[in-house]
Amino acid sequence: MHSVIDIKDLNVHFETRQGLVRAVNGVTFSIPAGKTVCLVGESGSGKSITARALLQIVPKPGKITSGEIVLHHDGKTTNITKLEPRGSEIRKIRGSEIAMIFQEPMTSLSPLYTVGNQISEAILLHNKVSKKEARDRAIELLKRVGIPRAEQRVDEYPFRLSGGMRQRVMIAMALSCNPKALIADEPTTALDVTTQSQILDLMRELQEERGMAILFITHDLGVVAEMADDVAVMYLGNTAEFGSVDDIFNNPKHPYTQALLSSIPKVGAERGDLVSIKGMVPSPYRRPSGCPFHTRCAEFIEGVCDTVEPAAISFSDDHVARCHLYNNAGQVANKEQGRHV
Amino acid sequence: MSNLPLSTSAPRLTVPPPNTDEKTPLLELKNLEMRFPVKRGILSRVVGYTKAVNDVSFEVYQGETLGLVGESGCGKTTIGRCIVRAYTPTGGSILYRTEQGTQLDLATLEPNELRDIRTDIRMIFQDPYSSLNPRMTVYEIISEVLRVQGGHSEAKMKEAVQTMLNKVGLRPEYMHRYPHAFSGGERQRIVIARALITNPRLVVADESVAALDVSVRSQILNLMETLQRELQLTYLFISHDLSVIRHSCDRVVVMYVGRIVETAETDDLFKTPKHPYTEALLSAVPIDNPRQRNSKERIRLKGEVADPSNPPTGCFFHPRCQYATDICKTTTPPLETLATGHTVACHHAKELSLQGVTTH
Repeated sequence: MHSVIDIKDLNVHFETRQGLVRAVNGVTFSIPAGKTVCLVGESGSGKSITARALLQIVPKPGKITSGEIVLHHDGKTTNITKLEPRGSEIRKIRGSEIAMIFQEPMTSLSPLYTVGNQISEAILLHNKVSKKEARDRAIELLKRVGIPRAEQRVDEYPFRLSGGMRQRVMIAMALSCNPKALIADEPTTALDVTTQSQILDLMRELQEERGMAILFITHDLGVVAEMADDVAVMYLGNTAEFGSVDDIFNNPKHPYTQALLSSIPKVGAERGDLVSIKGMVPSPYRRPSGCPFHTRCAEFIEGVCDTVEPAAISFSDDHVARCHLYNNAGQVANKEQGRHV
Repeated sequence: MSNLPLSTSAPRLTVPPPNTDEKTPLLELKNLEMRFPVKRGILSRVVGYTKAVNDVSFEVYQGETLGLVGESGCGKTTIGRCIVRAYTPTGGSILYRTEQGTQLDLATLEPNELRDIRTDIRMIFQDPYSSLNPRMTVYEIISEVLRVQGGHSEAKMKEAVQTMLNKVGLRPEYMHRYPHAFSGGERQRIVIARALITNPRLVVADESVAALDVSVRSQILNLMETLQRELQLTYLFISHDLSVIRHSCDRVVVMYVGRIVETAETDDLFKTPKHPYTEALLSAVPIDNPRQRNSKERIRLKGEVADPSNPPTGCFFHPRCQYATDICKTTTPPLETLATGHTVACHHAKELSLQGVTTH
């Protein structure tokens, strides 16, 4: 499967008065066509900033300082990091090649325009069609995302719609130009579980139909298990581990991934004390030296983890973790030195 | 009740804790109803009422954790607020058994009579960012209720706050800092300390971990459990997150559009749900194992949660229920206790065999 987007060694830094924040610090992964890559991590792990870098919409004072984001479209390749954030080239990509849906469907829809207006806007911007055609296409899309009475709803304002319906409108808008890649930033976090499962189903169906690549950002490991083909586990701007969803859930290598998996309460499990990761995510201004996770890691090796930044170790073609516990061949090397603190 | 022990380590129960087969309800809700007026126009004419809580009855037993679960708009938060009397219920009663064994109806108490109860029943809020006053130090926040209560010297309050901070896992040295200096998890610990400083008997925890990161969430859930054992607390745990409910609660009340649809012991509810809504709710929870992705037939609910100001006739769930028959459209099903110990409001509860969550 060819990839739609290749991210190589991406760095996004924020220069603030309190100091330099390395929000994204050397992230590398690819999003293949027709597949879903989940970015999972706690707050401050850089998952949303990574996604925003793909569209060059990193909030100020953030800057992409180095790395490549290569978009493969219609036989050409474009390096998005080289494009001007306010230039015309990136604007042709936004919404048409790569579309995005956000967490809060109320704040990301304009309250002043009708639903149909907002969907047509994207269609008119990227295609040479008449207003009538754009409106028809908007109705078609609303029907496709499962909005009942689409012909009437197209003329309604977003406040008339429920949260789930608004998220469907957002999806319709994102799909209006047949994007190659869809970025979904916590699209179901604000929704109830029964609505969430409807939206996840819809996204899966649409992906199958159109072969889009999806970058799905979430903190909910249950959603990851349902949606992902590949998973990138992020911690303080780094991908701690990248692998297929099966590798991540059934053969996790990085202590952070392991701890994260055991700290979630499970619906199908008996009661008992939850394993919890000690401490909390460090402040981005005081990024730990060496492996950023060493301050909370149960396998912490003194003199190694706190001084040397771990390199990426490959366990198989698509399973990579950054951890000093393993040698270059992917075997446990330093385990006996690891001690529980 | 006026001379509450300040030190939280002081034993509260003078009699041994009640044994399990003779449980006493600490709190009994009877036909609780909370209506909110719907206003329209420039004169704010009342054009109708939304029944946020509609004929709800359940008991909370001493020492247990009772879960209240449902989707947005089901009335779970409203019930919590009625119990702490942030709202005055428009009908029904909330019977609270005091330490002396007398029963008080919280629903009809006057504000001055509520003062004593306010130290007995405390609340933990969802958002630790908006529920702490940024202009007060941690010490001021936690000791505020003691100050309002009166009769405590500054030195004693300081000692109490110190003990409490230790209990919730914060360093007492930090008590003169302001909330902005703390992370989300630490703030939630402050919120818990504030709730427990009066040595309460019942704690209403409204989505107390919903705003926290996964790794911090498990810390807070473990802390709440430890404190419950240590201080013999009773929790009313309000949450929309079924995995948290499964982990923390002894019994669960499931609500839909202001009404109770099912009540059962946690294990029974998850393994053998008796109400079609419970079944659908459980089925919608993502399974955290990619290998089981397509292993079970998902129940997909049609449509959306009914509007509480304009609910359907009969059983509120019937427009979305795959098992609905004619009787469901016309008659409201009563809550009935089944042989299995479930209390269910469904006309077909006895005939249906519903799918639960399999343990793995």
